[in-house]
Amino acid sequence: CLSVMAFGCKEDFLELAPISNSNANNFYKTREDFDLASNAAYATLYTVYAPESSVSYTEQLSDNATLYNVAGIQADRWAFKDYSLRTSNVEVYRFWQENYRALFSINIVLDKIETASVDEAYKEQVKAQMRFLRGLYYFNMVQLWGDLPLVTKPLSAEESYKVLRSPVADVYKLITEDLEYAAEKLPLASAITAPGKASKGAAQTLLGKVYLTQKNKTAAAQILQEVVNSKQYELLPSYASLWVVTNKNTKESIFEIQYKGGAGNPYSNYWTAFAPTENFVLTQFGGGMNQVTDDLYNEYEPGDPRRDASISTGYTNKVGTFIPIKFPIKWMDRTAQVVGGRELSNNNFMVLRYADVLLMLAEATGDANFLNQVRTRAGLPAFGAAGYPTDKYPTLELAIEHERRVELALEFHRWFDLKRTDRALPVLTAKGKAVTPQKLLIPIPEIVRQQNPAIAQNEGY
Amino acid sequence: VDFAFAQGRAISGKVTSKEEGGALPGVSVLVKGTTNGTITNTDGNYQLNVPDNATLVFSFIGFTSQEVAVGNRTTVDVALLPDAKALSEVVVIGYGTQTKRAVTGSVASVGYDKFKDRSFSNVTQALAGELPGVNITQAQGAPGQSPIIRIRGISSITAGTNPLYVVDGLPMENFNLNNINPQDIESVEVLKDASSAAIYGSRGANGVVIITTKLGKVGKTSINASYEFGQQEVTRKIDLMDAQQFVNYYVDAHNNAWTASGPGRLASDPNSVRPTQFRIPEDFVTNPQQFGKGTDWQDVMYRTAPSHNTQLSVSGGTDKTQFLFSGAYLNQEAVLDRNYYKRLSLRTNIKQTISEKIAIGVNLAFTGIYDRTDGTQGKSDVVSLGVQSDPIFPVYNELGNLGFKDPNSTWYRFATYTDLQLWHPYSLTREIAKQNKSFNTMGTAYLEYNIIKDLKFRTSINGNLYNTRYNAYQNKDMKFGYSSALAARGDVNNSFMLNWLTENTLTYDRHFGSHGVTALVGYTAQKQRDEYSSVTAGNFPNDLVQTLNAGTVNGGTSLASEWSMLSYLARVNYNFLDRYFLTGTIRRDGSSRFGTNTKWGYFPSVSAGWLVSDENFLKNVTLINNLKLRASYGVAGNNQIPNYGPIGLLGNQNYVYGNNLANGLNVTNIANQDLKWEKTTQLNFGVDVGLLSNRLNLTAEVYSSTTNDLLLFVPVPDLTGFSTQLTNIGKMRNRGFEFGLNSRNLVGNFNWTTDFNLSVNRNKVLQLGPGNAPIVYTDFVVTVKTEVGQPLSNYYGYVFDGVYKNQAEIDASPHDPTTTPGDPIVRDVNGDGKITEADRTTIGNYQPNFTSGLTNSFSYKGVELSFMLQGSFGGEIANQLIRYNGIWNGGRNAYAEVANYWKSESEPGDGKHFKPTVAPKGLQEKFSSYWVEDGSFVRIKNVRVSYALPSNLLTRLPVKSARIFLNAENVHLFSKYLNYDPENTTYPATTYSPTATSASGIPSGTMLGVDYGSYPVPRIVTLGARFEF
Repeated sequence: CLSVMAFGCKEDFLELAPISNSNANNFYKTREDFDLASNAAYATLYTVYAPESSVSYTEQLSDNATLYNVAGIQADRWAFKDYSLRTSNVEVYRFWQENYRALFSINIVLDKIETASVDEAYKEQVKAQMRFLRGLYYFNMVQLWGDLPLVTKPLSAEESYKVLRSPVADVYKLITEDLEYAAEKLPLASAITAPGKASKGAAQTLLGKVYLTQKNKTAAAQILQEVVNSKQYELLPSYASLWVVTNKNTKESIFEIQYKGGAGNPYSNYWTAFAPTENFVLTQFGGGMNQVTDDLYNEYEPGDPRRDASISTGYTNKVGTFIPIKFPIKWMDRTAQVVGGRELSNNNFMVLRYADVLLMLAEATGDANFLNQVRTRAGLPAFGAAGYPTDKYPTLELAIEHERRVELALEFHRWFDLKRTDRALPVLTAKGKAVTPQKLLIPIPEIVRQQNPAIAQNEGY
Repeated sequence: VDFAFAQGRAISGKVTSKEEGGALPGVSVLVKGTTNGTITNTDGNYQLNVPDNATLVFSFIGFTSQEVAVGNRTTVDVALLPDAKALSEVVVIGYGTQTKRAVTGSVASVGYDKFKDRSFSNVTQALAGELPGVNITQAQGAPGQSPIIRIRGISSITAGTNPLYVVDGLPMENFNLNNINPQDIESVEVLKDASSAAIYGSRGANGVVIITTKLGKVGKTSINASYEFGQQEVTRKIDLMDAQQFVNYYVDAHNNAWTASGPGRLASDPNSVRPTQFRIPEDFVTNPQQFGKGTDWQDVMYRTAPSHNTQLSVSGGTDKTQFLFSGAYLNQEAVLDRNYYKRLSLRTNIKQTISEKIAIGVNLAFTGIYDRTDGTQGKSDVVSLGVQSDPIFPVYNELGNLGFKDPNSTWYRFATYTDLQLWHPYSLTREIAKQNKSFNTMGTAYLEYNIIKDLKFRTSINGNLYNTRYNAYQNKDMKFGYSSALAARGDVNNSFMLNWLTENTLTYDRHFGSHGVTALVGYTAQKQRDEYSSVTAGNFPNDLVQTLNAGTVNGGTSLASEWSMLSYLARVNYNFLDRYFLTGTIRRDGSSRFGTNTKWGYFPSVSAGWLVSDENFLKNVTLINNLKLRASYGVAGNNQIPNYGPIGLLGNQNYVYGNNLANGLNVTNIANQDLKWEKTTQLNFGVDVGLLSNRLNLTAEVYSSTTNDLLLFVPVPDLTGFSTQLTNIGKMRNRGFEFGLNSRNLVGNFNWTTDFNLSVNRNKVLQLGPGNAPIVYTDFVVTVKTEVGQPLSNYYGYVFDGVYKNQAEIDASPHDPTTTPGDPIVRDVNGDGKITEADRTTIGNYQPNFTSGLTNSFSYKGVELSFMLQGSFGGEIANQLIRYNGIWNGGRNAYAEVANYWKSESEPGDGKHFKPTVAPKGLQEKFSSYWVEDGSFVRIKNVRVSYALPSNLLTRLPVKSARIFLNAENVHLFSKYLNYDPENTTYPATTYSPTATSASGIPSGTMLGVDYGSYPVPRIVTLGARFEF
């Protein structure tokens, strides 16, 4: 162009393509493109299940966890444990954004692959994986917010204004369809070559949980029994070995989020986020998230090895003073590489595991044997046997509630469990939480309703 | 041939400048009422045949014309008075110049004289408060920081809001004027209205700042040398709690929370029964006196800082060659610990006339800057840390380390209390070594060719090469002064920018009888490439070697980005009788930044002027020397959007399967192939009046501008997967009034002049995205809301009406259910009897109702004195440091006035400050009127005294003139603001990093006026001397 100064440049002088980014115009064509796109969809698990994600905050809504002095906007974080959420809560809006952002990453793959010229078998597998993730996300969301705008394809801004909240039943219909498709098409765990990809068992387990939540115990029992019968999974002999950093994708694990420690990798940050703030001995950074309540700590029966595998009672600072702040240690990684003041930890995160299946089966069938498999692994007396604390947990329902709380402690199950069994109100009220039936749903963020006033608010907000 | 002419007689004489005494070559000497005349030669001499009783008219650009009756004389010597306000003054406009007489748009012009003694590195800082309609604020006081310039209000929410800078013809977005030595600048012109700026098309909407550098004048070579020594000082510190007040505050905050946490809990309960978060250090209870008044962390961070500025320039020229060589070195310490700014600037400008037809010229300038600047990021940056740090801690512990977090120190006993705060400010200034180096080279080469008489072709090529390099090394553990004991770390960042422009214009300039026409057509092409790279290393064995080779590289990236632009432009100026003026311009811009559907845009303007005072009916009105009416209408654009804004981009989002990293790609933004510039149309009316022999000059202007196709991150429902989409959809209006007055109150031996200006701007949002949904941004509690019918970025929160003294007061009013005595009274704005989120309302706005500047100058013989006042009235500032220093927040120190908090019903405090608690339950921490302060201020901006040595003292020296001067900037601030300066804002004007591919997050310009602990603007006193040889 310089050489033709006086005469003018050609129009293509103005056609500049991005240098440091790929361009969406020529993507979503080949099998390689869809591998990249579905990997990105899997990567949404990192935000949706992050230590400060919506599902993690359910521990604050429950009686398991609390917050002390934390970094960031304290009032909006404390509001969960105090049940004083307002519609302007910045965290609630963040959850909404993260979940729908994740759904977009899934929907765009589902949408684009439909017309792409890739082989049908591959197409089916990608669709099944994406629909598993979509089912999982909508299941979390419907339990948090109730009625939801159902988005099943990429939307333009104009289209999105027409999508209002669908009733809970419709949301569950979509979840069920997605998971049934995934359960049918996905391969057994043993046939999965890339650890971390959704398997048939993962879809069935999740479907069982969905049925259970819809009070359909028969269907739940049936499909969960299929998981057992598939012989793909078993309890590890030692509960503690579940939480060894290097023990990944074990036989007990059904769906597990994959992390890799170290710089440049998708590392996990549960350990730093759950460590007490400014501890200076455990971690460089301490997020102070999900600090453990005494109530959870005291829930464990004497001699239950799961307590000390799950919770630290505090830490000793550099001069030997003991700081009694209880915090989760399931995702501890003391050997993580530290870069920029952060531990780049290596721990995976189990979303679904076999102990959960057994406890759900007990709930669905009323058969204490499933429960007792879990207790046996913990080395504790069986329900109904001598030494079982029957005075505290006289019914099987209460026994399951207790067992789930300690077995799955701090794994983002407790609040959903209490809601599923209609126990949230009595249990949480007894522990001093200002909870009402309406507060068992979190609010629709005010920004969402400013953008589209046709979106209704949950009652009580 | 005139018969009288034949009978004429010869006279001669010399024309000199009355002020400088030197000969004036090129002065027109005309016999009045005839076309008979001549011009003076290089020595200022002339010869002319004149008739009897002739009157001579001497005129020269930049000087007042003089009429002299010849009488019987044969020698007529004349000394002309320079006249800065003369209508013949030349003003630089885009792609050309114009006499002031012919200007029809709104152009403010400032010559070198206005800022020659001002001690700033950036010329625009010296213009703050001088120009009506041009709001220049010093958001951060660090040396080398560019001020924020807003011309006629703020015209955009999301696009960049900086004006376009044009340096010797090269238009630059977000140019850093620190790269131009102010002493090299001949003039600064500001194109304020859209009709003047329309010649810059898609880049003119924020106004245009034109910088023209100097060129030597025909005549003797002049050598100028100067030296200035300066002292900078923070004169207005923030009033904070001392150690005793802080201890009480800490104790009360913990006890208040503990007693509120359950029944039967008493303030007297020992730590042993309290959970960790309610515990109080034993030292605070048993022996608070040990802390005395404690450490004043502002004294620790600030110092009186010297600066040195040395300049040398040589300029001159012959008829054929004009030149300027200059060099300058500025070495400035900053008031903030370990910060400094050093600048070397070199320039050579040469113009050579090769033949009658051809002239060529080259301007070449180099600037190298080494600096270290901390403290401008607010929040947890150094300045803010110095304000938050707890006074109980010493600067150094007994082991010479920085923190109480040193496990071997006795101070470590406080580390148990995790809510005590001291991220020692020295940990950032002394435990991190860092330096920015930036090198700017700017060059222009041009050729002018007079094709035929009146028709000139000009071609030029401009280039700007800008490189920066940043090195940092952070010591291991930082002497325990930081929030955690971090590993050593090294960083190296590099950036590269090359911008080039070719420009070709044809200018036709001709008079046809009473008609004058100047026509311009042009074609330009411009392109810029930016590159950025960074490398990070860790794992250093010790702190001895700090280059990255000593450690292990554990991170790095590189990025590149480009934009390009093609433009066609045309302008016609027409005048009739030099009294009626008409200008029309049009520019067509195509830009790589715009969507494929909207690549090209047209930007037209028209303007007209009428010099009423030249009409016969006013000719004899002696009161009025000059009366001009102007009107203009134009369209200008704002193209400051991300380089690849219209394109849907993919970003990396990797996953891992088992132990195998798997690349992922995901869409990062919604594509919009219709994306284009914002379009601002502006109507401007102006009147210029000169009265009493031009002793009194007034200019008044009114304007109304509307920005259409406002670029917005339109909040789109998150259901799309995105929160915003960059779209041209909104509409905003700025209307305003400007008034400028220049009065020569006294003339003669004792001179007194007064300059006054006043600017009023009203900003209103007319339309936003779908459904006009308001745009709300929240950053660390502070919320700004933009809604239709309101000015941009209202502060939005609760109204606090004081403090509840007792339970009876609470019971008698609507209140949040958690409220107890001592908590804030939250106003029930909507009157529904409940305190809910619906009670949030507008609680202020940054934009002032009006701003004003007043300068008075006095001179007597060689002495000059001037002082300038600057004021801003009616704006509010959101003090984001309230989050740390105004409410309890993790044991940070607080403002001294907070100590007057409610303690009990009998000790209710000042009624403003509520009781502190470590576990607030209600709205105590929410954004409210408690955070918003009056931003009005009056500042003694500048005081100057100078003395020119009388020439008779200099005759035996090789010195032509010598002046010494004393200059003081930011002399005093009258303001009630709690922090350093109400001009402070932590959020700069919106700009897009050249390597940013798409924009996200909060456009920082929407948070203007929010101060999260900004760098104080120091008082600067300089003493200098200037010599001409």
